[in-house]
Amino acid sequence: MLCSVCTAPVCTNAQVGCHAVSLNNLFDRIIQHSAKMHRVSNDLHQQFELHVLPSRNQVGRGGHICHTSTIMTPNGKENAQRMAREGLTQVILQLLMAWTDPLMNLHHSSTNVSVDMSSMVGELRRGVQRLAEKMHTLGLLTDPDSSVVSPEALMTSHPVPWRLMNLYDILYCFRRDSNKVHNYLRILKCRIVPEHGC
Amino acid sequence: MFTVDQNKLLSCNFNLLHLHFRIDLLNAHSAPLFVCCISDLYLLVFSPPAPLEPHFTDCVSREQETFRCWWSPGIFQNLSSPGDLRVFYLKKESLSSEWKECPEYIHSNRECFFDRNHTAIWITYCMQLRSQNTRYINEDDCFTVENIVRPDPPVSLNWTLLNVSPSGLSYDVVVIWTPPPSADVRVGWMRIEYEVQYREINTTNWEALEVQPYTKQTIYGLHVGKEYEVHIRCKMQGFSKYGDFSDSIFIQVTDIVTEEPLMFILVLVLGIVGVLILIMLIAITQQHRLMMILLPPVPAPKIKGIDSELLKKGKLDDLNFFLNGGGFGGLPPYAPEFYHDEPWVEFIEVEAEDRDGGGKDDSLTSDTQMLLGLTQTGCHHINLGCSNALGFPNNNLGQTSCYDPAVLEANSLMLMGSLLPGQPEEEEEEEKEAASFNDIKRCPTSAESDENKHNPVQPTWINTDFYAQVSNVMPSGGVVLSPGQHVRTQESSSTTEEETRKKENIIETEEKKQTKLLVVNPEGNGYTVENIRSPPPSTSVSPTEYQTVEPSPMSRSHGNQSANIVPDPPRCQIFTPVADYTVVQELDSHRSLILQPPPPPPPPQQSLPSCVPLKVPIGYITPDLLGSLSP
Repeated sequence: MLCSVCTAPVCTNAQVGCHAVSLNNLFDRIIQHSAKMHRVSNDLHQQFELHVLPSRNQVGRGGHICHTSTIMTPNGKENAQRMAREGLTQVILQLLMAWTDPLMNLHHSSTNVSVDMSSMVGELRRGVQRLAEKMHTLGLLTDPDSSVVSPEALMTSHPVPWRLMNLYDILYCFRRDSNKVHNYLRILKCRIVPEHGC
Repeated sequence: MFTVDQNKLLSCNFNLLHLHFRIDLLNAHSAPLFVCCISDLYLLVFSPPAPLEPHFTDCVSREQETFRCWWSPGIFQNLSSPGDLRVFYLKKESLSSEWKECPEYIHSNRECFFDRNHTAIWITYCMQLRSQNTRYINEDDCFTVENIVRPDPPVSLNWTLLNVSPSGLSYDVVVIWTPPPSADVRVGWMRIEYEVQYREINTTNWEALEVQPYTKQTIYGLHVGKEYEVHIRCKMQGFSKYGDFSDSIFIQVTDIVTEEPLMFILVLVLGIVGVLILIMLIAITQQHRLMMILLPPVPAPKIKGIDSELLKKGKLDDLNFFLNGGGFGGLPPYAPEFYHDEPWVEFIEVEAEDRDGGGKDDSLTSDTQMLLGLTQTGCHHINLGCSNALGFPNNNLGQTSCYDPAVLEANSLMLMGSLLPGQPEEEEEEEKEAASFNDIKRCPTSAESDENKHNPVQPTWINTDFYAQVSNVMPSGGVVLSPGQHVRTQESSSTTEEETRKKENIIETEEKKQTKLLVVNPEGNGYTVENIRSPPPSTSVSPTEYQTVEPSPMSRSHGNQSANIVPDPPRCQIFTPVADYTVVQELDSHRSLILQPPPPPPPPQQSLPSCVPLKVPIGYITPDLLGSLSP
């Protein structure tokens, strides 16, 4: 869905032969994609829980340690709204970056999970990167310190061994993180693209 | 084989499969659990019992920004008073988190409220109840806030009628509502899906429609006359916990809807019937006019100015009035012009039934005599007080009437009707004809007249009677008359046989030639007269002219035996045209028409300049005329 967005060059306002996608449209596409990703992760987790263990609050046993726990993410609505746009975008990208490899490993190693969620995550990541570039071009991202475009630098700061996680943890953590990404994207859109009530 | 270990976990061990289940009896949810032990075919249904010790009953967040937890003391009633149990929670943000006490107690409800400052999303919370010396911990009391969100129900429910089925028995409605005010849907912090349920009132089963994120829903197939109850509940997208149901709204459509198609049909039928009645009324009232328009009447033969009704009723005064040119619609005295325009005007022939003696022949002869003025009684010299007037006897009644020669001049000659032969080659004949014509001017004084009182004393040049019977019609248009022979035979005394025969021969030879008709006397019995436009005959016995007119192919014969050959107006103005018709002046006592003398001749027609009016001497036709005559 976002491939057209990914491959299209970043256009200025009046370039010939360039199909400029509006920021609003780009946001809508990205949010739609992340909603789908969250739906898939939720279904996976529920299926797993039904077959294995019913838990009351979908928490399972004890707390789950996710490899993305080290990423500082806003924990509430107000925290997310107070955060800078650049920081929020960076967090989103970090989360998406962190899940590409584990999900790819999950798809290849486990036969239970037939859905290749890593491609979904990859597409969403590329879309958000395109979004960041567009915002940077439009001058919406003013903080020069935030290195949004270089995700590799983010990952090297806090490496977390995700290979120690079992399937149950992976599904639980991925479900939680996709919800985070989805909420962050909506708040970001409301702040950048002014709509009624934002 | 089931065993319950010290941790209050149910274990099921089987020899073959070694399936191992561990079920927490104490903290099992209220929902029933199904356990199937395969080898021994045990089906164990668990409805978990209520926990005995103090525990949390539920923790709920309404808007994903705050949450509450409720607890229960269980069977330990001595801990039911507030303050006996304390709530502690653990927020697993980092590895070194601590248990903290409930930020806000609501003892009346045994509720612990966590406000925004103490609420964190995507972070695991664990709850704990502590009495004075005991801690009641349950691992399943850990949760993340987004998973315990139960949105508030929607508000402002309303419904509108979408459409009604053609049968009028079922209808569709659209239900609309607004999101719960507590949920921040605008920012996108919560994405809510709605589930609409409806049921017929006083039934137990709710009909649930598909969950969808929009704030309107169409309900199809509701029945007219029944009342329905509708309520809606919400849940978060991607999560499974539903909020409470909204307040119900009631939908009911009565039977008024079904009458519409019937009314429409009724109005349509009445309209059509009304239009049909209107058309019929128009047709009936305007019948005559419609008939006139659709079938215009064919004009019947008539004479202008003469009302056929008058003729039938015998109102002669009116008729004469009309015919004399009186009145607006009367015949003009200028008959020939008039009649030239109306070739379809037929003859008027009125024959009196009573006659003074004599059969047909007598009438004929007497007519001829009258015309020719040869009868004893009829003589232009009789003393009628006519000076310089030709007296023409009335053949029927023996009366005479005078005609002013001036009047005669107006329509020129009125010749004694006789059919002249076409070739007046014989001069003898001409002379005789001239003589005979001259004789007309004189009263026959010979005894022949006595003898021929009823027999016409015909001048020799008159070969035929005034009336003649057409015995044969020539293809060239000529007419062969028969009664003339009869007359001729009577004239044998005056003429020689030879001459008679000659005349007969001439007549016969003239069969193939055109015969010419003479003008008919105006006083004839219903004869129409042709106007002869030529110089009127003078009172002297000079040979007057008489015009011959060709018989037209359109000659018509009226009556039984009286031959009326009406020549058409000549195409060539060799001679002045003869009037086809005359004007009936009056009716005499015998119901015979007295014809008016023809009016003076109109100016010669300009259309035939080539024709030169010639003076035709009486009795014969010059060869020039002959050549110019055409059938």
